[in-house]
Amino acid sequence: MKWLCLITVFVSGLMTQAAGAPPSAWVQPAASLAEQIAGILGPGQANLTIRNLSTIPNDEIPSIRSLLEQDLKVRGVLVSEGENANTIHVTLSENVQERLWVAEVGEGNETRVAMVHVEPGIFQRTQPVGGLTLRKQTVLTSREPVLAVLETADGLIAVEPEEIVIYRHAADGWQEQKRVGIGQKSPLARDPRGVIFLSPSGDGFEIFVAGMSCAGSDQPAKPAQELTVRCRESDDPWVLVQPPVTPAGSTTQGATAQMDISVTPFKAFYNAARNYFTGVVNFSPGVDLPPFFSAAQLVRSASDAPLLIEGIDGKVQILDNIALKPVSGTRDWGSDFADLQSGCGGGTQIVASGSGEAISDSLRAYEMPAQEAIPASAPLAMDGTVTALWTAPDGKSLFAVVRSAADQYEVDRVSASCN
Amino acid sequence: MRWIVFRQVAISCLLVVLALPAAARTRPRYGGTLRVEVEGDPWTRSGVQPGSLARRLVFDSLTRMDADGAPEPALAVRWASENNDHRWQFWLRPGVHFQDGSALISAAVEASLTGSCGANCPWTAVHVVGSTVVFTGDAPMPNLPELLASDDFSITLAGQANSSATMAMGPLIGPFIGTGAFQVEGFTNGVLTLTANETSWEGRPFLDKIEIAGHKSIRDQWLDQSVGRADLVEVPAEQLRQAHEQRLTVIASPPVDLLALAVADGGVLSNPNIRAAIALAVDRIAISNVIFQKQGEITASLLPASVTGYSFLFPADRDLNKARELRGGLTPPPITLSTDGGAAMMLAAQRIALNLREAGFNVQVASAGAPQHADIVLLRLTLASNQPQAGLELLLRRVGVAVPVRENSPAGLFREERDFLGTHTLIPLLYLPRAYAVGGRVRDLRLSRDGEPLLGGVSIQSSQ
Repeated sequence: MKWLCLITVFVSGLMTQAAGAPPSAWVQPAASLAEQIAGILGPGQANLTIRNLSTIPNDEIPSIRSLLEQDLKVRGVLVSEGENANTIHVTLSENVQERLWVAEVGEGNETRVAMVHVEPGIFQRTQPVGGLTLRKQTVLTSREPVLAVLETADGLIAVEPEEIVIYRHAADGWQEQKRVGIGQKSPLARDPRGVIFLSPSGDGFEIFVAGMSCAGSDQPAKPAQELTVRCRESDDPWVLVQPPVTPAGSTTQGATAQMDISVTPFKAFYNAARNYFTGVVNFSPGVDLPPFFSAAQLVRSASDAPLLIEGIDGKVQILDNIALKPVSGTRDWGSDFADLQSGCGGGTQIVASGSGEAISDSLRAYEMPAQEAIPASAPLAMDGTVTALWTAPDGKSLFAVVRSAADQYEVDRVSASCN
Repeated sequence: MRWIVFRQVAISCLLVVLALPAAARTRPRYGGTLRVEVEGDPWTRSGVQPGSLARRLVFDSLTRMDADGAPEPALAVRWASENNDHRWQFWLRPGVHFQDGSALISAAVEASLTGSCGANCPWTAVHVVGSTVVFTGDAPMPNLPELLASDDFSITLAGQANSSATMAMGPLIGPFIGTGAFQVEGFTNGVLTLTANETSWEGRPFLDKIEIAGHKSIRDQWLDQSVGRADLVEVPAEQLRQAHEQRLTVIASPPVDLLALAVADGGVLSNPNIRAAIALAVDRIAISNVIFQKQGEITASLLPASVTGYSFLFPADRDLNKARELRGGLTPPPITLSTDGGAAMMLAAQRIALNLREAGFNVQVASAGAPQHADIVLLRLTLASNQPQAGLELLLRRVGVAVPVRENSPAGLFREERDFLGTHTLIPLLYLPRAYAVGGRVRDLRLSRDGEPLLGGVSIQSSQ
């Protein structure tokens, strides 16, 4: 019997945890509301009714009632069932930001109101699973638009439309250390874009935004305030694909370097007044490339690494043997994709954003053995629109910038695990 | 209340989901003309409504509301208050130009705000300090950044955005020049044409042009969209169900339009018991069910349940017996009821008149557009912020109550609302969503906090 009771208590505890906030979350608001009620009624007896207009699960109402009764009793108000001149109608309500508990306290013909607000609950979300599983980890959140970020040995450099922001590790995550103005003279584009890459030596970085380029150095262990960034007006082509570079001070090597694969540096001219690349690139592709939004190099083997582009007409094509060939299976793709050296399946996948609109974008990995994109993972739900996606310097993970419906920006690191 | 709130949220989400295109999505493309049709005038404001779609595209304000209804930088990049909110200083965004090329300087902002602020001005004085604008008030102005986001205080070159200037005077005169993403090109055959502002401080918009055809009936709007002549048309709340039956792609806001009766507190209605009787006599459920096809959220509070959580404390039930009791035995003199809205508002006014007659009132409904004084006016007010403190002050100012709302706790706001509603000079009835039907080539359309389409970020969809 004792064991049965213990198991019952344990199971009911688990159910409560799963259903909503832990019972301890109600202790403080119950006490606060009881204090206000007792202040109105004074010592005596009262009828208590509770109705729930909130998202609190109904099976938690008895425990809330019990807390209220105890707190009222401590303050001299006894809850009774019989005829009573005093009434307490408690409504568990909420608005979009918080929960609100309201007590309508009746003494004869007079009704007075007491209120307490309660912190909102925390809701868990689950990740979908698939053959190859994509996972995300939030690296940074910001109210300002983030165009690109770069993780260095001991810091993080974020590119915003008008500023470069330097972060350093702190106990509670990234801490902003310094902001450097980019100094654009012309108005920004409405869909601003930017890229940041490690310099080939690994101890500096290069940034491209519309009409400007910046270069900086970021020595490990050097205070952020001593970090230098120089920006200038520039219509130089942007770096879009770069051989793997190991950040100074880091001991890990890039995935493609480990695979002994040669990645061709690839640069493209950007239309600073719009949001796409003109199609003019730093090598001779053998054909005229159309204006495009995105490009990635699909590393299939040491000798086979064609370029994948998505034109501004939404068509995804592959540049293979000096010919542009259409890729099928990309109807669900958005405008952003990047290559991922996951080591799963064919070794390299293309991860593309989804074709949905603002509130429910997703990322999905695709194998591309030929001219067809074959889904290799379940879609990974993102909490908004993916506005930028690029491969991390090590090639083994990606970074995605997501704009939420509330115009908050989140930078997520996306990695894959083989099933 | 929970069910109502979450039903609305669910409906809004569903509507947004229904708005998703099936085709592949690219980054927004530049170019193209968006064709919009509206029932009202494309430019001139009417009644107590804060503005028009076109004005929002042409003008900016010092601040604007973000998705949560909180103020965020627009023409001002930052602001600070001093002296217990009696003094506010706003720093202007550098490098902004009006559409005629002249620079946005603090003197121009001062001139604009001085010209646009009328009798219920939230501040006592506004003056220039270097590249900043300083507001001072005899009373504290706790919600000034929110108030400045209002269309009432949009910045124009001549400071007369709210003047009676009409398009016939020409699009390039001061009242039509702002700093917004689009500029007025012309007004021909009832169509207002706006062109992209290449030097907009927010970046050149994706669209080349927007054509707004005014004075189009809903029927004509839907017909034009069905044959591809319009990209964005209106869907009144009462026709949302019909829009879905016709398989229109609809995007809808949360409930943001408050239908309320403004009751005069003089003459026939100077007796507060008579006004209280009117509030008790109105059958909100019938108005919601019959006229607005159950698309509204019934309310007796100024702020909706989703904003405060306490709206259930204001009973919305009809109590005809109590209404008759409060009215007393004598038949009061005739009362006139009017509305400044469209057909549905007139139907609602007629229904309310019927309710009041059942309570023993002698009510006459003024015909639409009749320029006569009315004792009771059925209004449509817009909730501009879902921050309760600012939202309440903005609503009250809209009906001429220029009193700062200083309380920000739920209990304090409840008291402010209860005290004001206790005068029965404004009787809230329903909250309604705003909705639009969107053509298949329109992408990235979002609605502002107060349900207006945000066309600056819209582009025309390419087909893959």
